Amino acid sequence: MSEATAVATAPVATDPSLPFSQEVPGAVIGEWAADSDKALFVAPDKLLPLLTHLRDREGYDFLSSVTCVDYSAYKGKARAGISERFDVVYHIYSTRQGGGPVRLHVRVPESETVPSATSVYPGANLQEREVWDLYGVKFEGHPNLRRVLTWEGFHGHPLRKDWKEAYFEEEAKPFKSRHPEGGYKWHEDKLPWGDNNTYPQNWDPDSWSEPVTYVPVSQAPSDHHAYGELDTQSIVVNLGPHHPSTHGVFRMLTRIEGETILALEPEMGYLHRNHEKIGERNAWLMNMPFTDRLDYINSMSNNLGYALAVEKLLGIEVPERAQYIRVIMAELTRVINHTWSIGFILNDLGALQTPALYAIEEREMILDLFEEISGARLMCNYMRFGGVVRDLTPGWEERAKYLVHDRLPRALDQLDDLLSGNEIVKARGRGVGYLSAQDLIALSVSGPMIRAAGLAYDIRKAEPYCIYDRFDFDIPTLPESDIYARYYIRLLEARESIKILKQALRDIPPGEVNAYASATLNQGFGTIMGGKGGYNFRPKEGEAYARIEAPKGELGYYVVSDNKANAYRYHVRSPSYINLNALGPMSVGYKVADAVVILGAIDIVLGEVDR
Amino acid sequence: MDWLNLLVIPIIRSVVIIVVLLTGFAYLTWYERKLLARFHVRYGPNRAGPKGLLQPIADAVKAVFKEEIIPGHVDKVVYLLAPALALAPALLIWAVIPLGKDFPAVADVPIGFLWILAIAGVESYGVILAGWSSNNNYSLLGALRSSAQMISYEIPLGLFLVSILLLAGDFSLVNLVEAPRAWWEWLWLWIMFPLFFICILAETNRSPFDLPETENELVAGFQTEYGGIKFALFFMAEYISMITTSAIMATLFFGGYALPFGIGSDILPILGPFILAGKVIVLLFLFIWVRASLGRPRYDQLMGFAWRTLLPISLGYMIITALLTVFFK
Repeated sequence: MSEATAVATAPVATDPSLPFSQEVPGAVIGEWAADSDKALFVAPDKLLPLLTHLRDREGYDFLSSVTCVDYSAYKGKARAGISERFDVVYHIYSTRQGGGPVRLHVRVPESETVPSATSVYPGANLQEREVWDLYGVKFEGHPNLRRVLTWEGFHGHPLRKDWKEAYFEEEAKPFKSRHPEGGYKWHEDKLPWGDNNTYPQNWDPDSWSEPVTYVPVSQAPSDHHAYGELDTQSIVVNLGPHHPSTHGVFRMLTRIEGETILALEPEMGYLHRNHEKIGERNAWLMNMPFTDRLDYINSMSNNLGYALAVEKLLGIEVPERAQYIRVIMAELTRVINHTWSIGFILNDLGALQTPALYAIEEREMILDLFEEISGARLMCNYMRFGGVVRDLTPGWEERAKYLVHDRLPRALDQLDDLLSGNEIVKARGRGVGYLSAQDLIALSVSGPMIRAAGLAYDIRKAEPYCIYDRFDFDIPTLPESDIYARYYIRLLEARESIKILKQALRDIPPGEVNAYASATLNQGFGTIMGGKGGYNFRPKEGEAYARIEAPKGELGYYVVSDNKANAYRYHVRSPSYINLNALGPMSVGYKVADAVVILGAIDIVLGEVDR
Repeated sequence: MDWLNLLVIPIIRSVVIIVVLLTGFAYLTWYERKLLARFHVRYGPNRAGPKGLLQPIADAVKAVFKEEIIPGHVDKVVYLLAPALALAPALLIWAVIPLGKDFPAVADVPIGFLWILAIAGVESYGVILAGWSSNNNYSLLGALRSSAQMISYEIPLGLFLVSILLLAGDFSLVNLVEAPRAWWEWLWLWIMFPLFFICILAETNRSPFDLPETENELVAGFQTEYGGIKFALFFMAEYISMITTSAIMATLFFGGYALPFGIGSDILPILGPFILAGKVIVLLFLFIWVRASLGRPRYDQLMGFAWRTLLPISLGYMIITALLTVFFK
């Protein structure tokens, strides 16, 4: 756990001692010395040369996260010397060297644009669109800068600090009208401006139509598949948003020629509820159950990622037993996710639910275990900053051991026996949806997908968090990078998880399960974290980014604190969303039927995509 | 009393068979849902009536009383004609299937084989017209797939039928059941049964060859725009096709209404239809088993399989059958 990071002082003028001043002169205009990450301030006009240098010369090939912070309401603004409104933050990692990130800050006022990173890292595509959508920061040179999470007619940019949602009450929870008595009125009745829905000027719902050019689809070559003299015509087919195989409300806009896909464009945001804005209203702890709702299959890993980020900010240590419990929960979640995803890949292949129902049979038993310790099967809300909320119940470990030693390996073997050799699975999966490891990395894809492309990159090994460095496990890789490999890698990873689980259940020590419950720190959160005590604590000014190897890929949380009881900025780097960068490139040239399975093999959850 | 034999008795028989088939369809849905549930390790329908036996009736009532919606963008005449056109051939085939000794369903026409082939050829029209008239991209893709698929699989299917015909030496299905076969004839027939069954799966649009409706890609394929009783007619067509083709397979491969080794056929000719029904139920189990177990091949793989694998095999099989017939029979 690193020290809490202080907000840097004002960036100084170009200085030969700054990093990369020889290679890319003038790019880095300041350094965040008090931080364990390599954190640099970058001049907007020199961003692209610096990114190119980092990618080509320094080996930083994986652009993990692009996000933005609106500093207009930041309390410590003067102290930190922040003059510009927006701070676009890049976290870039190296898949070859592992280790921590290079963090780049590009500070721009509202009127200015930022050069788009898509020419260097194509994976910035969706994330820059998100920043444009929610903050209104324009990216110069972005190929398709449209709104992505809100709808095309949306007025304003909702994550800006001066944007108020409909039925806005107060900046931060707990709302005074409801706390502490709990009584509340319909707040919209009290507001002079009604429900606070705003529309663009002269907006008429009847005449409005989507001002959309779906660039890749509308500009697809129409004579791509001309058969000799025969001039064939391609058609646009809308797969979704209400479609049986999009795993939720998700749209794939495809241009097809016969059954072959010429272009595919993912459209999302139908479940968008501005998770991050709500997260900024919430007190720090209130976000913990809220993370459950992101990827509702893996609530435990979501909890873990968020807890790690806030612990980084607070600089607190987690007791030994809690570390083990966290690892056990995260790995059980991984087993759930992978069996679930195997079942649903098969479902997308047309195997009418039978494999899916076999695959999730063991899931029920794991959920029983979750229910016993957390009280909930899906929305566990089990982790806390500095540990977990309560200890394992008596007998829990025995039941978990039975599951891990007996049931789960057998269930995985059964799936393997029934599915892996199946001719239809092989015929449908082999060689379909290929994308090379380099392309996947460039598209910021993470998780099982890149390991199925032969790249042994797993954050548990590359930048170990919790206590993963104590366990003996492998990173399985497969070279093929097709649907079959993506199916099979999940089976292998679930087996590795069981390996970790066996060791963790064997070695788990007795003791406290959270830092604030120990004998010396029995005054609750406040004692160790500052603030008034209880759960209402105030982290120091600063920011932190923590990432974990969630079952679906790299799950990152970027939090900024301005020493208040609520997060100033709460950003989720969700693997499902960013992995969708690869959907279009992977599907083009294959059949419609394949696109469905390719999407299934990315393994998305719309709660996390749309946030 | 010629008019009686020519008109009244066949009409009565047809009505009885249609009623039996429609009931059979209703309970086939129950049978399938129960079996699928068992394959899925769950219970299946168990609320309407004992063991969910009233479920089909509830479904029928629901389908009939649903609001009739005809979307504005469809070609109305064809759109309404298509479900009927899909259902009729499935019922028509039954005219020639022998139900018992000297007891054909409607008529023992001497061209039973040709009848089956001809009617089976019409079956795809319902699907094609439904997809075409719906004026919807999903439906169109479903219909295109369906037309290509059904035509492709009719060729090996026809060749296999011709082989059986060569071996039997007679176009009449009644004679086929009645005529004694040597043991090697049975063996030779059964070797081909799996392939024949694959063709039948493709012909009836059943999983894993349900590409015209593939809910994963095309939502519901050709029937996307259909609802209420019109959808139920398509459903009915598919399931009655299953019953029909099972009856054909039972007749061609497993002695139709007769028990093995001629047991009881002379004593109790009235047992014929029940024996046939028993065989049909066993064959229907196969359909459902396959549906519960297998994934779906891609469309081009399906076509490739028909033209590159099944067609050569069926041609070779026919040639060998012809040689066997000439030299050993």
